[in-house]
Amino acid sequence: MARALPRHAGARRRLVHRVVLYGLVVALAGWIMGPFVWLFVTSVSYQRNLLARPFTLIPPEVTAENYRMILGLVRFHAEVQASRIIPALLNSVIVAGAVTTLNLVIGSAAGYAYARCAFPFKQVSLYLILFTRMLPTVVLMPAFFLMLRAFGLQNTLTGLAVAYASFTLPFTVWIMKSYFETIPRDLEGSGLVDGCTRLQVYRRIVLPMSGPGLVASGAFTFMLCWNEFVIAQVLNSKPGSTTLPPIIAGMMGQANIDYSVIAASGFLSALPAVLLALVFQRYMVQGLTAGSVKG
Amino acid sequence: MSSSIPGSSLGRTVYFVAAFVVEATLVGLGMALVLHQRFRGRPLMRAVLLIPWALSRVAVGILWQGLLDADFGALNGVLHSLGLIDSYIGFFANGFSALNVLVSVYMWNQAPFATVLFLAGLQSIPEDLHASAAVDGAGFWRALWHIVLPALKPMIFLVVVLCTVNGFLMLDLTFVMTMGGPGDDTTSVAWLGYKTAFIFFKFGPGTAILYTLTALCVLLTFVYQRIILAKFEAEA
Repeated sequence: MARALPRHAGARRRLVHRVVLYGLVVALAGWIMGPFVWLFVTSVSYQRNLLARPFTLIPPEVTAENYRMILGLVRFHAEVQASRIIPALLNSVIVAGAVTTLNLVIGSAAGYAYARCAFPFKQVSLYLILFTRMLPTVVLMPAFFLMLRAFGLQNTLTGLAVAYASFTLPFTVWIMKSYFETIPRDLEGSGLVDGCTRLQVYRRIVLPMSGPGLVASGAFTFMLCWNEFVIAQVLNSKPGSTTLPPIIAGMMGQANIDYSVIAASGFLSALPAVLLALVFQRYMVQGLTAGSVKG
Repeated sequence: MSSSIPGSSLGRTVYFVAAFVVEATLVGLGMALVLHQRFRGRPLMRAVLLIPWALSRVAVGILWQGLLDADFGALNGVLHSLGLIDSYIGFFANGFSALNVLVSVYMWNQAPFATVLFLAGLQSIPEDLHASAAVDGAGFWRALWHIVLPALKPMIFLVVVLCTVNGFLMLDLTFVMTMGGPGDDTTSVAWLGYKTAFIFFKFGPGTAILYTLTALCVLLTFVYQRIILAKFEAEA
């Protein structure tokens, strides 16, 4: 009897602990997921139901009308603004894809050089790369603006890709350098002894082993470019030349466009980045903890 | 008149950064402490954690407008249905309220990043340290204070520095949510610089403001790098 009591108390304490823990987990899930789920709900609702009082969390009617509007499948009063969405979506894909490819080819090669080779100014340049990676992109904007205007690259996808590459490359170099340093040197040594050049060793032995590093930097780069807003807004102000975020932000200010339509375009634009983050979560976390600051 | 604007925008920026750093660090730490526990569905929760951070600032702005709007905001709707408020609240009508909303929304977006860093820090605390604390009968708060927080000190410092730099230069969310308004009540130094250079096309003054901020962040980055490099040397 004397022993049973404390055991009973211990079990009760564990039960309380479980209840509190799962309560916190549910609260956390609501805090993280709730707003995003609501964005989806509004995007399949009619504006009149969002405005209705009393308010209902579960929409009385569900519709794909908002999506049909922004994809240009139905005519409506703001179809001129909406018609810019698909070209902007294509521009986003082109810029993000090009910059990601560039990062994987050039950034990983540079990372390999920093991990394995000796060359002049190695420490200094590495320090500078690390330094530019820390700088928030906003501070680079006046420089981007003046330089790209001087080169006649304003309002071009090339200009935007150059600007994006300049702030994503340092990041890729850093991730890939750290990744290559985890590959044992012996594996490359045998290749070098067999008469391969450094480049052949890199292409035939090192790169095939570097999947996780490439995925981490590729997914990260794509997401940064896909989501970037301010630089695109400033550099590519012409509607046909810009990416999705400035077009959607421009629609937000328009009094003639319903919120439900904007919610649909917001959800559509968010989907690729969210899927990327969910699928490559492990790699994204690796990239983040590798010391990124780009929030 | 125009010379008085930078002064007050500096004050707002300092408030914004301070509030953001405190909120993001505390919420980030709280989420990390929960996600570090063992529970069903933890891998899923850790993946889902990245959603707010993976959204573009434009999407974040749209999403929170849907929750806070004075005509159709879901939070207003829920509070009204529960009878907690008589009429919908205009979260962006009052300057101070708008500034605080901006802080919290930016925190919602950025806290997962802090959580990821804290989780990495928590993983490095040896299990037996927790076990011995439990044997000694230390409660949750005492273990947190004496074991967890001291071990997380470098990570906390890192998060504070990163949040400070990001907070000083945040302007995309301002663009999407408030445009610096009402009046100038959410105009930070970064937004003032952006507005001057790229909306009013006064390139000289605008750039001067942005480069002053740059200098400040270079200084912070320098401090941050010394710490990071010191850590790398310690590991080597």
